[in-house]
Amino acid sequence: MGEVDRRVPLYPKGYTKTTHFFSPPPRNSGNRPTPLSTIDSCNILRGEEQKMSQSFSNNLNSFNSFNPTYINTTYINPTAADDRPNILAWLSPLDPKLRHQGIRDRRIESVGEWLLQTEEFRDWYAGSEGGKSDNAVLFCCGNPGVGKTFVR
Amino acid sequence: MIIDNLYSRARGRNTTIACFYFDFAAQSEQSAASILGSLLKQLVFGLEEIPEEISEAYEDRKYAMGGQGLQISDILNMLQIATARKRALICIDALDECATEHRVKLLDSLGQLLQQSPGTRIFVTGRPHILPEIETRLGERTESISISPKREDIATYLRSRLAADTTPDAMDSTLEEDILEKISSDISEM
Repeated sequence: MGEVDRRVPLYPKGYTKTTHFFSPPPRNSGNRPTPLSTIDSCNILRGEEQKMSQSFSNNLNSFNSFNPTYINTTYINPTAADDRPNILAWLSPLDPKLRHQGIRDRRIESVGEWLLQTEEFRDWYAGSEGGKSDNAVLFCCGNPGVGKTFVR
Repeated sequence: MIIDNLYSRARGRNTTIACFYFDFAAQSEQSAASILGSLLKQLVFGLEEIPEEISEAYEDRKYAMGGQGLQISDILNMLQIATARKRALICIDALDECATEHRVKLLDSLGQLLQQSPGTRIFVTGRPHILPEIETRLGERTESISISPKREDIATYLRSRLAADTTPDAMDSTLEEDILEKISSDISEM
């Protein structure tokens, strides 16, 4: 049983590692196989991952005898598009849309629409589109339970 | 209701929307910084692209700070960047349920944002006693509407609930009218 070669770095700093457990496409671009859809690739990966962890636990020797050409490791340089979810999560971990979703499901269509017709609301809304009103803030006040959030 | 309406109006327009619902029960996680962060996240989400300044700030900070600890001043800077890209609508429900110390900071921050991004619109609901606070902190440009239950709203609501009744046999049109009449007249005394 040989030792794992520790000289090989796992992956360069700042890169995300994805491992494809199938043969790399041929280099000549004119003759590439049809690319798998992302979902197909995920399923293949998931299946292979299970097989691999099984073979790891069954026989550690398999690690050393594993055919290295079978694993094609690619490095993806993170781009702004890839980072979008990360950046959003960094800005805030909260998700108030969930609360809104809950309220939307329980409220009843057309209740409260009178508010949209009021001059106050229309001026507030139109104000920043070049309207005459300059009220930036609209405050809807009422005592507890009158239906400010919604009627329930 | 307003928020749904605003979302559908904003579709296809140059507008981005953020909303926040306050809740007494969750005051501990509703600090001024986390609320502003949440609003910022939603406004940025509504932009087609993340502004370069924000992704650069993210690249600069992600290792140094472990993604944690954004200061209010950082968030305000980014809010200003986001609101400069698109017209922003910010909706805040039940502001009176925000803990006082956070409310002061939040309103001051929003007041600064309004000065820097005059096109931004803020919609707030809450009990009447916080109006003076809003006027002081957000400036003169505040309009208020008093919300009271509207008879036709209640009727719409009741009809919809009655229609979903699981024992429709127990209900006839006379009883339905009686219920609507009784509840509506109670409402007008609120």
